[in-house]
Amino acid sequence: MLPFQEQIISDLLEDSNGGVVVLSSGLPIHTLVASVLLLHHPSQGSLLILSASDSQKSSISRPNPSSSHNPIIPTDIPGDLPSHHRTALYSSGAVFFVTPRILIADLLTARVPPSSVCGLLILNAHRLTDTSTEAFIARILRSLSRTAYVRAFTDRPHAMIAGFAKAERIMKCLYVRRLHLWPRFHVLVSGDLEQAPPEVVDVRVPMTLAMRGIQQAVLETMDACLKELRKTNKVDVEDLTVENGLFKSFDEVVRRQLDPIWHTLGKKTKQLVSDLRTLRKLLDYLVRYDAVTYLKYLDTLRVSEGVRSVWIFAESSYKIFELAKKRVYQAVQAAGVRVIANRKSNKRRRVNGDNLKEDTGSDVNNGTIDANAGVVLEEVLEEAPKCKVLRVKNHKNITSPKEGSVSADNRGDNSDIILVVCKDERSCLQLEECIMKSPHQVMRQEWEKYLLGKAELLGLRKSNKKRAHEPKGFGILDGAVAIGSSDSSDPRGISKQENAALLAAASEISCLGSDAKSIPPIQFYALEKDERVLDIWRPSVIIVYHPDVTFVREIEVYKAENPSMKLKVYFLFYENSAELQKFEASIRRENTAFESLIRQKSLMMIPVDQDGRCIGPTTLSEPNSVVPQNSLTRKAGGRKAIEKEMQVIVDMREFMSSLPNVLHQKGMKIVPVVLEVGDYVLSPFICVERKSIVDLFQSFASGRLYHQVETMIRYYRIPVLLIEFSQDKSFSFQSSSDLGDDISATSIISKLSLLVLHFPRLRLVWSRSMHATAEIFASLKANQDEPDEHKAVRVGVPSEDGIVEDDVRAENYNTSAIELLRRLPGVTDSNYRPLMDGCQSLAELALLPVEKLAELMGGQKPAKMLREFLDAKCPTMP
Amino acid sequence: SVNASAQHRNAILVSHRQKGNPLLKHIRNVRWAFADVVCDYLLGQGSCALYLSLRYHLLHPDYLYYRIRELQKNFKLRVVLCHIDVEDVIKPLLEVTRTTLLHDCTLLCGWSLEECGRYLETIKVYENKPADSIREQADTDYLSRLTQVLTTVRRVNKTDVVTLGSTFGSLSGIMHASMEDLARCPGIGERKVKRLYDTFHEPFRRVA
Repeated sequence: MLPFQEQIISDLLEDSNGGVVVLSSGLPIHTLVASVLLLHHPSQGSLLILSASDSQKSSISRPNPSSSHNPIIPTDIPGDLPSHHRTALYSSGAVFFVTPRILIADLLTARVPPSSVCGLLILNAHRLTDTSTEAFIARILRSLSRTAYVRAFTDRPHAMIAGFAKAERIMKCLYVRRLHLWPRFHVLVSGDLEQAPPEVVDVRVPMTLAMRGIQQAVLETMDACLKELRKTNKVDVEDLTVENGLFKSFDEVVRRQLDPIWHTLGKKTKQLVSDLRTLRKLLDYLVRYDAVTYLKYLDTLRVSEGVRSVWIFAESSYKIFELAKKRVYQAVQAAGVRVIANRKSNKRRRVNGDNLKEDTGSDVNNGTIDANAGVVLEEVLEEAPKCKVLRVKNHKNITSPKEGSVSADNRGDNSDIILVVCKDERSCLQLEECIMKSPHQVMRQEWEKYLLGKAELLGLRKSNKKRAHEPKGFGILDGAVAIGSSDSSDPRGISKQENAALLAAASEISCLGSDAKSIPPIQFYALEKDERVLDIWRPSVIIVYHPDVTFVREIEVYKAENPSMKLKVYFLFYENSAELQKFEASIRRENTAFESLIRQKSLMMIPVDQDGRCIGPTTLSEPNSVVPQNSLTRKAGGRKAIEKEMQVIVDMREFMSSLPNVLHQKGMKIVPVVLEVGDYVLSPFICVERKSIVDLFQSFASGRLYHQVETMIRYYRIPVLLIEFSQDKSFSFQSSSDLGDDISATSIISKLSLLVLHFPRLRLVWSRSMHATAEIFASLKANQDEPDEHKAVRVGVPSEDGIVEDDVRAENYNTSAIELLRRLPGVTDSNYRPLMDGCQSLAELALLPVEKLAELMGGQKPAKMLREFLDAKCPTMP
Repeated sequence: SVNASAQHRNAILVSHRQKGNPLLKHIRNVRWAFADVVCDYLLGQGSCALYLSLRYHLLHPDYLYYRIRELQKNFKLRVVLCHIDVEDVIKPLLEVTRTTLLHDCTLLCGWSLEECGRYLETIKVYENKPADSIREQADTDYLSRLTQVLTTVRRVNKTDVVTLGSTFGSLSGIMHASMEDLARCPGIGERKVKRLYDTFHEPFRRVA
């Protein structure tokens, strides 16, 4: 461990209540956590690690080679373990990973013995809010044990300054008073990291003309979209810059501003927000994907975004399509004259006619010139410039260090490994192929796949006689004009032999390639995998194909930990690219975030009690609710009524929201269970389906709400639809100017009216905020009996499997699979359970023959519907 | 008078109590007429509405209860149309909510007179309308159905659906794709790959 890391730990341990640590991204949180674990002793109680991602879990659990201690390896507490086993685990004094949802349920049902937990380590602290489940846990834990500490970590400083006084609020909700800031520019950090820096070579690769053009066009289109967005007067103009637009967090900035009024926004504004996201991806993919894949992605975009999107119709966007196409192929007239876009439409029609002829059996012309059309295709297949550089670099590195390594380097230590670092798995696979074979071969393969896709579509379209085609003017050649030139394949016909021949050719190519060369000592690594790759491979040369600040820090730490090792790092940047701009901006952004945090820290007010512990968040609303106030003045001169503990049964899935937390703050007892009907059960009669505004709109659109209300009405005397607005959003559906003159079927008013007409027994509750909801719940429960947990769980569950396990929880189910299953055609509420019993997973379901399906689903018709949908041929791209 | 009653059937009948309510100006898509009715607005055979301004409620907190009691049990749908015309809504709205809920009324909120008027119009016009537009839609085209299905997996968007569909050919093809094949699709990153793969291959019920 480096000196600065030791300093971080000792600073953190100074306060026995814990604290929040904010690091520059890339500084090793996992070693910090691992060394905190080393200091843990089972006699103190068990230590729980919350909210760790899978990759964080694995890197925390991996033994550190440089440390001599026996590492403590934490284990998971799985949700499907019987409850008494979990209780035993909690009291064992060991270290565990646990999800907030499991822990909160266990805390609420008293499965965690009091004072058995000595502390919490919370990762990704930037995700916390005062109403998040982790805050809920911290509060309950504090009521159980005064000595339990909370130590939270994050390496996203910029996320810690999003919103008003976020850092302070997070600290309060965790009951800690210390904020530890460790930016990269901290004296200790930079001192340690810059003692023996790696040898860095910055390679600036010029982009090709087409790439530059596309980048320019995307940026222009982005700017145009931003201008449009500004015109709506709904967002703060200051944040709307193209530079900000390069980051993912831009969406958050825009969403945070627009969320309060999201349901009042017009379609266009919403579209603009999603367009900006699309454009950012386009910019990103430009340097990540090869030319053919990029073109393919654009095609896909046109299908899925098509008519609605604004950007496609922006002035400069046609350049994106045009240039992307040019990187792959050019349409050339037989005489060698390039075909101009507006003349192409006539040509196409002619070619189409030609195709029909072919289809009827005339010979397939696979020559370079089609006499009728007069258009041939010239392959361009532009190779990514970086890829070339990479090959050169590799070549040098493979040949040169080998000679040196014999004499000097410690060969046994894998030290001649070259590590190539890309953003995603896909680029890794492709680069690997590029190096094993030739990049041209790889491009060709992609191209062949692309053509085949087109050809297939063409066949499909002929049979369907459907859908005219893309927006006019510019556009990618559709399958009809694609003619293999030097290629031996003609994509227009889809005769089987051709297909087979192509595939055979392709496989031949790949066989040749892999045989020819021995495998070089090159390893590929995708950044998104988020593994501790440096410690595993211990490379001596690192080629950073897609630069990323976080990874740069990781390299620095790796080098500082191994000062004697020779390390050479190549950074491959495209010159004057958005990639470079983004890299630099991300460093700037982090620095400003830290500066702001330092300022905030100096002004922070954290109230503490006499033991020096943080008092915690000040509750927004007064605990005594409205109703008692009214009655008290009349009865017995304000004497407090004897308070019985109110109990609310809450569906496990609702723990995604913060309402259970707020209800608990109000002093209600929360009983977490899995409910089939409703979200909250307040009394034997009252069942509540809760909808936030976004949910309300969505579930009206999907028809889900209708169904939910239908079942609720079936089982409860007082079924309630709770429409919950958000504190920081406006309290109304729309402004009266948006109402329009006529009754429109799509308006929320019409949908609500229809709902109440069809379900006159449904009660509506309108709540200003989550806190208001808690008060309403308390008031509604006032004269009612407490709900029965066991009854509530059984409501709506078919009686065949009515035996309810005592310990059902959402973790036991593959919820997204079940949700997906229930949306499949033919699947209904009555037959999805037998389907789940009849096969293990969706993959298995997809194999079941129609007879078996009919048996499970109780009928031929739904089974046929389902089978047909599963097997239906997806339309390929136009 | 036959004519008149026919006319009445297609119109909202408004209680004389509502005379002078500026809300009436905003009922324009439906005819309305004054009549002797116990509710404020008679919207159809079995449905009626009471109008309540929150500001009025603050002055006369018992008003709503007496009006509801007057209605007796003569209507299937009893709407309390609440005009949110005060800033500080939480307390009065809680009282109104409690009263309507415990006395079998459906509470609808409008933030402007226009909106309140629109509710009255819509309930009248939709009197006999089937619920199709808010029920699950079954017969849409293949791609949007596929999108509906696949977007249940978090973060999967429409573009991804097209990519997946055209790469693997059919839904069952997508369900049997290997992790590596999924990773090769443009636009589908590591996390989405894992989410998709887990959704398809993890058992519905995870039993220990």
